[in-house]
Amino acid sequence: MSEAPAPRPATVPAAAGRVPRRHADLDTQIARLLTAGTYVSIGLLAIGVLGMLAAGQSPFAGGPSFAPGRLIPDLVALRPEGFLWLGLIAVISTPSLRVAASLIGYLRSGERAMAVISALILGIIFLSVALAIGTEG
Amino acid sequence: MIGGLLIVASGAAAGVFGSLLGLGGGILIVPLLTLGFGLPFREAVGVSLVSVIVTSGASAGVYLQRHVANLRLGMTLELFTATGALVGGLIAFLLSEQVIAALFAALLAYTAISMARGRERDTPSAEAEANGDATATDGSDGEATNGSFVASLSGPGYTVRRLPAGIVGSLFAGVVSALLGVGGGLVKVPVMHLLMGVPLRTATATSNLMIGVTASASAIIYLLRGGIDPFVAGPTAIGVFIGASIGSRTAHRIDLRLLRILFVVVLLYTAVQMAQRALALG
Repeated sequence: MSEAPAPRPATVPAAAGRVPRRHADLDTQIARLLTAGTYVSIGLLAIGVLGMLAAGQSPFAGGPSFAPGRLIPDLVALRPEGFLWLGLIAVISTPSLRVAASLIGYLRSGERAMAVISALILGIIFLSVALAIGTEG
Repeated sequence: MIGGLLIVASGAAAGVFGSLLGLGGGILIVPLLTLGFGLPFREAVGVSLVSVIVTSGASAGVYLQRHVANLRLGMTLELFTATGALVGGLIAFLLSEQVIAALFAALLAYTAISMARGRERDTPSAEAEANGDATATDGSDGEATNGSFVASLSGPGYTVRRLPAGIVGSLFAGVVSALLGVGGGLVKVPVMHLLMGVPLRTATATSNLMIGVTASASAIIYLLRGGIDPFVAGPTAIGVFIGASIGSRTAHRIDLRLLRILFVVVLLYTAVQMAQRALALG
């Protein structure tokens, strides 16, 4: 008969003392998400920049404007701008994903105030999108 | 091809200097792109916002993993930096290039004077921050002691105070970030450290964490309104990422005092150039 696993300590060591286990666990998950998001973004941008350099495209000639409808065709055709736009979207979306992950984490741990704050931050980001589209000139 | 490589190299230089001196790359990228490559201000600000999100994402991951950054405090304040950034992002498209150039010149002068006075002397180097060196602690486990929301934002060894002051400072930092394409750490770190009682290392790490959401709230507006050129933003972001990685690994081998003096001179020179540009645009 196997022994029951030892209970996890309620706090974990941090740079300046100890932090509660539930905070530390969420910190670790968010840290992984941020690191992964950053490396995916950099990878996509690097492919786009290499493609751009290989094609001899000058950054000073003025790049294409953002058109969501062109993203998939550009990626399928392996055009540098497709990877650059996707990389830029990944860069800008990573912080929002971090907030969404925090919202889920706070809901799970029953921290209502922090969950409301997370939801409000997401609301502001969506408002940015709506206002940018609505005032597009 | 040379133009693309030149932008990557310039971004890398901005990333190295920014990392060595504990500044975001934004304070350097905008002058580089406008004065160096002749880009319009708004476009340079949009590119800079993308770069600061990239660099903050990489380092914020490390800070969180080591529990140096305070996620709960950061999220509470970034509700207000994001609101400020939303407002700033909309205002940016209403202001003339002349006004933005003049504001940036003022920011450069403020940064140079702050560095000359040694305000950043105690700012941890990128290397020390990455190592997560310990700060003062009273051994508390960081749990709220009185059950209030503000107390729940405190961390090990410190108690958060003056939240309203932090909210006002965060709103202002958000507007500055969106208008000028910088991370806003020059506002947030002193507010958290001096007004709210957060240890300097935690304030720096938490400010870094907040940059991503703050900058993305306004970067979305720049992206959707045609303020970001992918052929400039891509090489710049890659360069800054490489430069910041190099800077964080070489900080301990470099005489930062000499570098700081050199940097103050460069910032003041750039501030004058930027002010002249503002006057010329008028």
